[in-house]
Amino acid sequence: MQLKQVYINRMMTGILLVLPMNVMADAAYDTLQRQVEILQKQLQDVQQSMESYQKKSDSENDKAELEKKVEQASEWTSPNTLIHMSGYADVGYTDVENDDGSFNVGTFSPIFHFQYRDLVMLESELEFKVEANGETDVALEYLTVDLFLNDYMVLVAGKFLSPVGQFRQNIHPSWINKMPSAVPGFGHDGAAPVSDLGIQLRGGLPIYGMRANYAVYVANGPELIAEWDGTEFELDGIEAEGFGDDSDGDKVIGGRIALLPIPKLEIGISAATGKAAVNKVEDDSNTAPAIGTEQARDYDVLGFDVAWQLNNFDIRGEYVQSKVGDDNSAGVSASEGGKWTSWYTQLAYRFLPGKYEAVLRYADFDSPHASADQEQIAIGLNYLFANNVIGKIAYENNKGVAGNTSDQDHILFQLAYGF
Amino acid sequence: MKTRQIVNNTFKTIACSLILYATAQAADYPAPGDFQKGAKAWANNCGRCHNIRGARELRDDQWISTVYHMRVRAGLTGQESRDILTFLQGSNTPAHAINAIQAEKSVATTTSGKSIYNQTCIACHGADGRGGLPGVPDFLSDNSPMSKSDDILLQNILNGYHTPGNSMAMPPKGGNPNLTQADMEEVLRYIRQVFKK
Repeated sequence: MQLKQVYINRMMTGILLVLPMNVMADAAYDTLQRQVEILQKQLQDVQQSMESYQKKSDSENDKAELEKKVEQASEWTSPNTLIHMSGYADVGYTDVENDDGSFNVGTFSPIFHFQYRDLVMLESELEFKVEANGETDVALEYLTVDLFLNDYMVLVAGKFLSPVGQFRQNIHPSWINKMPSAVPGFGHDGAAPVSDLGIQLRGGLPIYGMRANYAVYVANGPELIAEWDGTEFELDGIEAEGFGDDSDGDKVIGGRIALLPIPKLEIGISAATGKAAVNKVEDDSNTAPAIGTEQARDYDVLGFDVAWQLNNFDIRGEYVQSKVGDDNSAGVSASEGGKWTSWYTQLAYRFLPGKYEAVLRYADFDSPHASADQEQIAIGLNYLFANNVIGKIAYENNKGVAGNTSDQDHILFQLAYGF
Repeated sequence: MKTRQIVNNTFKTIACSLILYATAQAADYPAPGDFQKGAKAWANNCGRCHNIRGARELRDDQWISTVYHMRVRAGLTGQESRDILTFLQGSNTPAHAINAIQAEKSVATTTSGKSIYNQTCIACHGADGRGGLPGVPDFLSDNSPMSKSDDILLQNILNGYHTPGNSMAMPPKGGNPNLTQADMEEVLRYIRQVFKK
């Protein structure tokens, strides 16, 4: 019994000793638990912060990416430098009276534009042609640097299309020309100058409620071709195609001024004057003597043009005369001068609503050589697949010296595309 | 000979004076133009040499170089070029894009039908409603589009319309993206009122 009591006392003593320790252990546990809870809370806060940061970061990334895309889009649509290509091309078939008809590639003429803001633009047109022998002929139709001086003046420097008249500078591209062929005398070897190399000032002006446009230029000018007929030289033609050398040493100055008294009616006059010299000889017999020092002789051009768009009608006409003076100095290969004159009038009517257009053109080209003279009545019908894609069929009744190509009639088909 | 020299020297003097007079004043690019004036200038000038090209044929950036090229070719002033550019760039936006932008605005009309017609429609449809350009329908003719219902005409204005056989299409909202539904109703009411046979 005593022993049992002793055990009980000892147990009680043990319990009494252990209990405070347990109490102390529970306190430590609670402390630890609180610390763990605090840590968990802190961890949650950190995780939330991380998530929030991540979300913010994603959002900022998205925003940055979007901004980049917007910037790129803006860069693409409005850079300081623009590069642009346009142009025109045509293919066709020509049936010639008393001769074989043939398919042909008229021209492929890409036009390049390199523009720096609204200050300057480089313009250039190349012309690719397939020759009768299958070779490809490439020419630089024009290359100019256009400096936009102010709202009324553009300084054009380089090789430019002649501003004399309208056909050569504006109407000759095949998708614009309503006929499949160039007007006689307005081609590359006619009365109208094609291009020149120099500087030009041009622009538009408002004048008392009307509008006007102008072009003045100074350039190298043309060269003359003499033909050797076996016994003597004869002036054959004027090459006014933008030579890079002024062989006669005397510049040509010229220009055009046009008035638009009412919208869609334009009346222009043109003139050019300077000197030109023989620099090329055509000699089929290979017996021509070498040309000596050629004297520069007078070269004068006069032009008049009118264009009027009235409802469905497009009416236009143009006259141009190029004149080369005589030169009786010693050693001159073709002393007698000459006069090349061409004029045309054209009436076009657009059947609307519809895609057909009828065209009637009369032209007359006179030169010092009867064999080149030509009078032409042409009638055509166009189908506009689109305003810049035009199918043309035309019949040209040509009158020239019998037996010459200028006397052959033509039936022409052409598909022209301006792009 | 003396006369030729006088003409030559006079010509050279004028040309040199013009060049000296000109000062390089490149405006900040692209300078703003006037939409309404641009529509008129486009209608009056672009058909002088070639068939008119519709605004939808080129992108905004392509129109910039094209218009500057035409400024040199056609003898346009700088302001006319900017006006035409503003008109073409404002008219080449597809209908769905214009309508999407407009849906966010939902603006009530503040402009009269006459004012809208004079700003947006007159360049092509003309002051007398008979068509200012070849192929544009005559509101007063027997086969006038005005014989169509308002719903159809409003749809045509909203989305643009290409009259069969015509040379080019009317751009959505006549090329003016700022027109609201109420504006279109207003201008249609004005056209019906003024251009009746």
